[in-house]
Amino acid sequence: MTGSGSGLRTTPGPVRLRRLIIATHRDVGYFFAGLTVIYAVSGVAVNHIEDWNPSYAVRSELKELGPLPEATTEALADEVLRRLAIDEEPKSVVRMAPHQLKVFLDHRNLTVSVPGGTVADERVRRRFALFEANFLHLNTGKGLWTWIADLYAVGLLVLACTGIFIIPGKKGLGGRGRWLLLAGLAIPLAYLIWKAW
Amino acid sequence: MRRTIAAFVSVIAMAGLAPAGELDGTTYGSGVTIADPTPIATLLSKPDGFVGQKVRVDGVITGVCEKRGCWMQLTDPDTGQGVRIKVEDGVIVFPYESMGHRAAAEGTFEAVKLTPEQVAARAAAAKEAAAGAAAAAGEPCEKAGEPAVKAGCDAPVKDDTIFLIRGTGAVIQS
Repeated sequence: MTGSGSGLRTTPGPVRLRRLIIATHRDVGYFFAGLTVIYAVSGVAVNHIEDWNPSYAVRSELKELGPLPEATTEALADEVLRRLAIDEEPKSVVRMAPHQLKVFLDHRNLTVSVPGGTVADERVRRRFALFEANFLHLNTGKGLWTWIADLYAVGLLVLACTGIFIIPGKKGLGGRGRWLLLAGLAIPLAYLIWKAW
Repeated sequence: MRRTIAAFVSVIAMAGLAPAGELDGTTYGSGVTIADPTPIATLLSKPDGFVGQKVRVDGVITGVCEKRGCWMQLTDPDTGQGVRIKVEDGVIVFPYESMGHRAAAEGTFEAVKLTPEQVAARAAAAKEAAAGAAAAAGEPCEKAGEPAVKAGCDAPVKDDTIFLIRGTGAVIQS
């Protein structure tokens, strides 16, 4: 809309407000897009925690070393490592019981039956990208990340509040948008009525 | 600018590190505030005397909750006796890869009476473990005639009661 004859353009309040809403939604959206993808991927992974470990891949196999000699814990661990051809200094060695020895290596745990010599060889690996995504999403590090995650939550709130006012008219809150908004609220509400209340 | 960034990175790196007695490492929860650890053997030899008390235990991490990191087993490498540190899900998450590291943990020592269903579930799990991979790792944990606090096992059980530490914090050595 044109303004006075001086050539200055003036914009009505509602239009200016909508432009501000769109600009805010756009910029906050860009800023948090990466984090949203990370949290979404982690969210799906963690939702199914009963079925798998979303952060670590743990692979275990049995190996037969043959009968082991009577020896001190350290000597026994050395013998186990020698038979498995592992050239690595263990993080620790623990005689859990007279019949059981545990040798902890880097991302690898050996549980040895004594004197039988059967070994449960467990290898632990961080799942690529998922470990990091879960570390952030589950706020494992606490401290500074708690504040960043709070900021992200505020950002999501801003995105939600600005998002519903972007489009005016029939496709906005005046029409289809209103029904979609209500449908989106009805789903958690119905679930709560069904399961929690 | 570079100095500022370096200082910022240092602060972040140091945020997770705090000393606990002679043990330096990554702090979980409220860390460790009690100076003197109670030997696990002492704790388990007279558990009733420690129930309800806040204690600190030191040892090697010999087990971690695989899916949620909601507990870890601390074992005294000298005696092989261990105790489980149970924490609130999601509040503290012990990393699975921390097994084998030395750690200190503190919390309230508790006796949890198992329900008949839990007793049955544990017996079934022990049977399943004995038939599977765990059989290779040693004999079943709860064996007739052997001490209930036998080393290398799950949380110690005595008269259908589990003794554990309701953990409030820990320090895991890097």
